[in-house]
Amino acid sequence: MSKRDRALGWTLLLGLLAAVPVFIQSGRWIDFLELTLFVAVMGQGWNILGGYGGQYSFGHALFFGTGAYIQALLQFKLGWSPWVTLWFAIAGAVLVGCAVGYLSFRYGLRGSYFALITLAFAEAFHVLARSLISVTEGGRGVQLPLNQDPGQAVASFQFTFANPFLQSYGFYYTVLFLFVLACAATWLMERSRFGAQLVAVRENEEAAEALGINAFRIKMGSICLSAAITASAGVYYVQKFLFVDPGIAYGPGKSVEALFAPIIGGLGTVLGPLLGSAFIHIVGETSKEAIGHFVGDRPGLDLILFGIMLLLVLGYMPRGLVGLLETAWMRLRADKDGPNA
Amino acid sequence: MSKLPFRMTRRTFLQATAAGTALAAAGLAAGPRPAHAANVIKFGLIHPVTGFLQFSGTQCRYGALTAIEEINAAGGIKALDGATLEPVLGDAQSKAEVGAAEIEKFNEAGVAAIVGAYSSGISLATTQAAAKYGIPHVVDVGVNDKIVSRGLANTFRFGPGFGVITEAGVNGLIEINAAAGKPARTVVIVHENTTPFGSFMAELMKKGLEPAGFEVLDILPHPTPNKDFQNIALKIKEMNPDLIIPSHYYNENVLFLRTLQRQRIEPKAIYSVLGGASSQYRFVDEFPDAAQYVMDCNHWFDPRNPKAAALRAKTEAAGKSFSYEVFLAYTAVQFAADAMERAGSADRAAITEAMASSTWAGHFMPYGPTEMINGQNQGARPLITQVQGSAIEVVAPADYATAPAIFPRPA
Repeated sequence: MSKRDRALGWTLLLGLLAAVPVFIQSGRWIDFLELTLFVAVMGQGWNILGGYGGQYSFGHALFFGTGAYIQALLQFKLGWSPWVTLWFAIAGAVLVGCAVGYLSFRYGLRGSYFALITLAFAEAFHVLARSLISVTEGGRGVQLPLNQDPGQAVASFQFTFANPFLQSYGFYYTVLFLFVLACAATWLMERSRFGAQLVAVRENEEAAEALGINAFRIKMGSICLSAAITASAGVYYVQKFLFVDPGIAYGPGKSVEALFAPIIGGLGTVLGPLLGSAFIHIVGETSKEAIGHFVGDRPGLDLILFGIMLLLVLGYMPRGLVGLLETAWMRLRADKDGPNA
Repeated sequence: MSKLPFRMTRRTFLQATAAGTALAAAGLAAGPRPAHAANVIKFGLIHPVTGFLQFSGTQCRYGALTAIEEINAAGGIKALDGATLEPVLGDAQSKAEVGAAEIEKFNEAGVAAIVGAYSSGISLATTQAAAKYGIPHVVDVGVNDKIVSRGLANTFRFGPGFGVITEAGVNGLIEINAAAGKPARTVVIVHENTTPFGSFMAELMKKGLEPAGFEVLDILPHPTPNKDFQNIALKIKEMNPDLIIPSHYYNENVLFLRTLQRQRIEPKAIYSVLGGASSQYRFVDEFPDAAQYVMDCNHWFDPRNPKAAALRAKTEAAGKSFSYEVFLAYTAVQFAADAMERAGSADRAAITEAMASSTWAGHFMPYGPTEMINGQNQGARPLITQVQGSAIEVVAPADYATAPAIFPRPA
């Protein structure tokens, strides 16, 4: 796919996403897009470390949860503005990323060992969030006060009771903004010296080091960027639902969501996490509707169907949906140009 | 390279995409449909019927659907010319964000009211989402008091919350202990600490028990799910308390009580507060020895009311356990239906107003006539039960008791 085609595709995609209010007024589908973009943001965070860096994490909830907790606690305990706390939330997750990265990469943990250490850290934070009651409120969780004054909607970063436009699209544009930022950061990284070095480390760490690349520094950079992006999803979650508890923040659910999206969509690609997240949500929703329509109320059957489709994708599309799109595009071009082109 | 089974040119691709987009846009742009067409009122039921809360969510859904079935069979909403209730089902998948997304679907479907969403965490998200559209939302089980203290005009809870349940639990224990000559003084509280439910409970119980002269030896938290209670049981054995107060979800409560039995830990009483399994017929049937004499301060029906007995018989005939989830969801739907009768309308605002001023007394819960203040039913309260033989008897308060408490339990 040429640079021009890619640029055209991205412009079209972002233009369509930005113009959503023009052609979608349905709260249901706005919420559907919001959830898709939310998982895509988490997926992009994971993709930087796992897809580009080859460091598969099983515990990205660590960064999501840290971002969410700091965002919630600074408002709840100190009464800070959410617009201030979000910087601390992202910085806090980056610090945690630094600590985990330093301990893991300094001692050369890779592959399944790195995956397990991230899982262990997420679980350790889960236990800490439950146990440090005076700091985290423990299992009670942190419930932020609900703003019901439309005049304070922007200041409180809460759009449940805002003017009609913000009420309908406030959080959609919030998560779209985060998604665009995450994609821009990934795109810039991909084209930078840092990105090239990260891919080199992924392909062969020893060879990269022999060429003078400081693998430790590069991996530390990627885990920090990854943590920052994933934490921004945590900030969005807290502002939207105004509640976080240890299970939501550090439970395995968010880690799984974060890694599924890029694996299905296409590892080490900017578009992969969005395609993967869209696939997960579209297939999930379609199978739920289809089961409901044809078989009636059978809770869980849609999840089984979803699991089967997931296995098929993972089994037959090793390059993910991005690979499928590229193949389709190349065939389209070949057909257009003719056999002798 | 193999060819595609059809020939796709850029033109056909663009045509297909445009047609698909147009079709999708037509569907997506659709706004909320009318709430009632052909004398049908759509009624949203949101519960976690998959995920780790699946058992309780399914029980809730059964109770709510049974209520709708009975209301329809009895002639529907009479004030609306016998309009029938059509359930619109939602699965929160045990996640708050999925629960909130289901509310968006309910709004599009044009539901007149919502009942759900079992857990406090999910209910906080669903009530907030429903408030955006002014949909009246009756919380069936969620006991977190924050659900009804946020000033949401659309949110109602027919049953009791943490504060009332804990207060009743403490007062009931003090009375039962005093009546038996105060044999119990030392207490160990064991609670789940993954969700707000167990954590709040432990804190409130400690605050209530210490001024009453009880000595809380220790508070032992554990996560949910938890697969092993050996360490906790050994700690309890070492402390040898007079009373053990557990607060868990069903599975953990069963495992904990069975572990106590296996370790031969025999305190003077096991007094649960929202014990999860301690007042569940399923537990009593499956593990009668572990359940014996266990007391529980929990949601319970008026045992003298024949409507409760009828629902229990119906539930058990359907192969389900008659648990608190069933009768709380059942009653929550009946409360909402009664508000529709009072409102004489399927309009959301009118139903909300009717709920807020409801005086409904035709239920089988020990709450008396309904009185809503800030969305909380003021008469809602738990009862104290005890497993005696194969029965679950109400032992306090006296006006609902079916048997005296066996306290302390026989050695």
